[in-house]
Amino acid sequence: MTNDAESKPSRALALLRPLTRWLTPAVLIEIGVIALLFMIGFVISENFRTVDNVVNIFEQTTGLAFVALGQTVIILSGGIDLSLDANIALTSSLLSGVVNGRAELAAPMIAAVLTIGLTIGIVNGALILVLRVHPLIVTLAVAAIVQGITLLYTLMPIGGMPDGFDMLAFGRVFGIPIGAAFSVFCFAVVAFVLAYLRPGRQIFALGGEPAAARLVGVPVRRVILFVYGLSGLLASLTGIYLVSRLGVGNPTGDTNYNLASITPVVLGGTPLTGGRGGVLGTLLGVWLVQTLNNVLNFLDISTFYQWMIQGLIIIAAVSIFIDKRRRAA
Amino acid sequence: MSGTWRTGMLSVTAISKSFPGVKSLQDVDFTAASGEIHALVGENGAGKSTLIKIISGAYVPDQGEIELDGRKVAWTSPREAQGAGIHVIYQELVLFPELTVAENVFINDQPLTRFGIIDHRLMESRADDALRRLGARIDVRRRVRELTVADQQMVEIARALVGSVKVLILDEPTAVISGREVDLLFDRLVALRTAGVAIIYISHRLEEIFRIADQVTVLKDGVRVATRPVKEVNRDQLISLMVGRALSDVFPPRRPLRNDAPILLRAEGISVGTRVKNVSLTLRAGEIVGLAGLVGSGRTELVQAIFGGVPFDAGKVEIEGTVFTRTSPRSSIDAGVGLLTEDRKGEGLLMHLGVAANIVAPRLGEIARGPFIDLGAENKIGADEIARFSIAASGPQALVASLSGGSQQKLLFSRWVRACRRVLLLDEPTRGVDVGAKVEIYRIIRQLADAGFAILMISSELLEIVGMCDRTLVMCEGAITGELTGPAITEEAIMTLALPV
Repeated sequence: MTNDAESKPSRALALLRPLTRWLTPAVLIEIGVIALLFMIGFVISENFRTVDNVVNIFEQTTGLAFVALGQTVIILSGGIDLSLDANIALTSSLLSGVVNGRAELAAPMIAAVLTIGLTIGIVNGALILVLRVHPLIVTLAVAAIVQGITLLYTLMPIGGMPDGFDMLAFGRVFGIPIGAAFSVFCFAVVAFVLAYLRPGRQIFALGGEPAAARLVGVPVRRVILFVYGLSGLLASLTGIYLVSRLGVGNPTGDTNYNLASITPVVLGGTPLTGGRGGVLGTLLGVWLVQTLNNVLNFLDISTFYQWMIQGLIIIAAVSIFIDKRRRAA
Repeated sequence: MSGTWRTGMLSVTAISKSFPGVKSLQDVDFTAASGEIHALVGENGAGKSTLIKIISGAYVPDQGEIELDGRKVAWTSPREAQGAGIHVIYQELVLFPELTVAENVFINDQPLTRFGIIDHRLMESRADDALRRLGARIDVRRRVRELTVADQQMVEIARALVGSVKVLILDEPTAVISGREVDLLFDRLVALRTAGVAIIYISHRLEEIFRIADQVTVLKDGVRVATRPVKEVNRDQLISLMVGRALSDVFPPRRPLRNDAPILLRAEGISVGTRVKNVSLTLRAGEIVGLAGLVGSGRTELVQAIFGGVPFDAGKVEIEGTVFTRTSPRSSIDAGVGLLTEDRKGEGLLMHLGVAANIVAPRLGEIARGPFIDLGAENKIGADEIARFSIAASGPQALVASLSGGSQQKLLFSRWVRACRRVLLLDEPTRGVDVGAKVEIYRIIRQLADAGFAILMISSELLEIVGMCDRTLVMCEGAITGELTGPAITEEAIMTLALPV
């Protein structure tokens, strides 16, 4: 049945296999669409085809990149996180409000809001485990509570950060935006965990067939707490980034990341049913969305249309990558 | 074959149907004649369900023709087939528990008053008529939820009657009802036959076929292997036709009981809600123990509770001397117990992962250094197991979704044989696999027992229990009602213990 090459597979080949698997149809389509958008941009505007604009696009992906990464991991595990905007509202408001320009408080408060973000995520996971209610409901309810706490703290953007804090958002090393580069680094770390480490395998197993995963001894609780904790942590990173970018936190929760974080996941070929897909598609999805917004800006298309386009993209992506067998059933 | 019989009311000719990767039916002819009960038998996966789904309009055949009363038909939906008088009673009844009997009988075409409002009075009297014609006394205003399963079955048959039934198809109707109810059902089927209905009867229980059927058609691996008058065949011939080989070649020889062998697993006083009531059992090294009983008798819940898939309310499990007052899949796997679940797709395979990843899943820790999975080692294990269990896969990284049912099942065997050290719990281990794979699985099970494993095997196929097991426990309504050993394990003895008194 098996030949020698298969029964004695080369170790190096086995290690590389997860990499080759990443070049899925969805990923290739994304690369094609990004290339197309660039071509359109090049044609329509002189200002688009500057190095500066391209670096700007990259820079502006940062905030979405963190939340989309967390959302990907959660969706892979079979869940969803709709508490991102509330998380960002609380962590960003607390950061600028408490620091209020005092440089010595910046580092401890960054640590504090990261911990708060992580805690919101873990609370999400714990409630999902204890109540056995759909994550959609649990995370929305937690979001409502967190948003309420935020608005009790402040109704308006308050405080501010010390000088130089904006370098997280605008700083560049050798011309490369620091924040965006860090987001790519985070994607690489998570990609590595998913491909090579036990928690990664367990996330795929749980998302694909929850009952089977439990019966082969996957530590379900640990995995759930891990993915929601990670998502909460990454959302607070986006909160910190926004403070760096805007100089102040935004308590209103209108950052629209709950939906926006799902778009790149679905574009990247990770179905909402979980168990399949990966983070490379999401990263490209983030870049695609940002490039599209940039092109639309150059075309002078109103942000209202951009909203509609975002909704249309999700619907289109979901219908392209829908599970054919499920649809037939 | 059917030339000597009356002109068929329904006949299908040269029907073929494929699903991605599977040839489900090939060139099948079948005739159901008015006033005749035609039994359809075959193992799981032989194509019986596909055939009735084609006859009843749920599937469109790839090739072949359907004729009803001599006219060629081509259903585009089950509703269309129902309109023409073809009705199916599935084992899983299609009823709406919160609606009344009458509402269920007229679920599609309620009689209307001239104002277009549902005419409840007419509906109820017509439903009542239909049930009376079946000899069933059921209040048509009751909610279906309150009825026994046997009465619910009658409601479904009544639904067919009000729609002027020509062909009535019953898919394992006796799997969910008890002895006296079976007698009543058969009386009613005979009455319908006399009234000229063509009845297609699917059952695993061969004795039922000899009791009521006139004709029998045997399917095997999607091909019709025989159609005979029931009078002209005997039981052993029928079994040989179904499995495609002499009975003695199917099952490995049984071993003598070994009462001195060490006890590997002991369950004491296990209760799970009302579904498992105070059950105790022991499994010894080297023996294959059957667990028989009707669907819903608590067999699956019992093994799930022992393994830790569902929590038990009372009792304890002892595995090689270690006592567990609660179990979890993790603790059972670590103690050397494996569970092959009945639901291969939902509770068994990790469909989106590869063959190797599926095999190593329960003992992922063994090929990990810290958090790192040794993908090279995983691949090697995958390749070895593919060869050892002759799994038809393109390689260790092949997705399990691409494997045939038989290979998927062998993969799960490989997983659990590797993962578990002493005790293997099998829930319907041959469901949905073809005969060739079945014989291989039987051989594997016997080899494992000979290697010192203790094996507990649930099966709904009595033939399998009789052929494979050294000892058999029979469950009924959550309790163990008896134990049979060696030659005392017969289909009749099992059924007597399995049916509620």
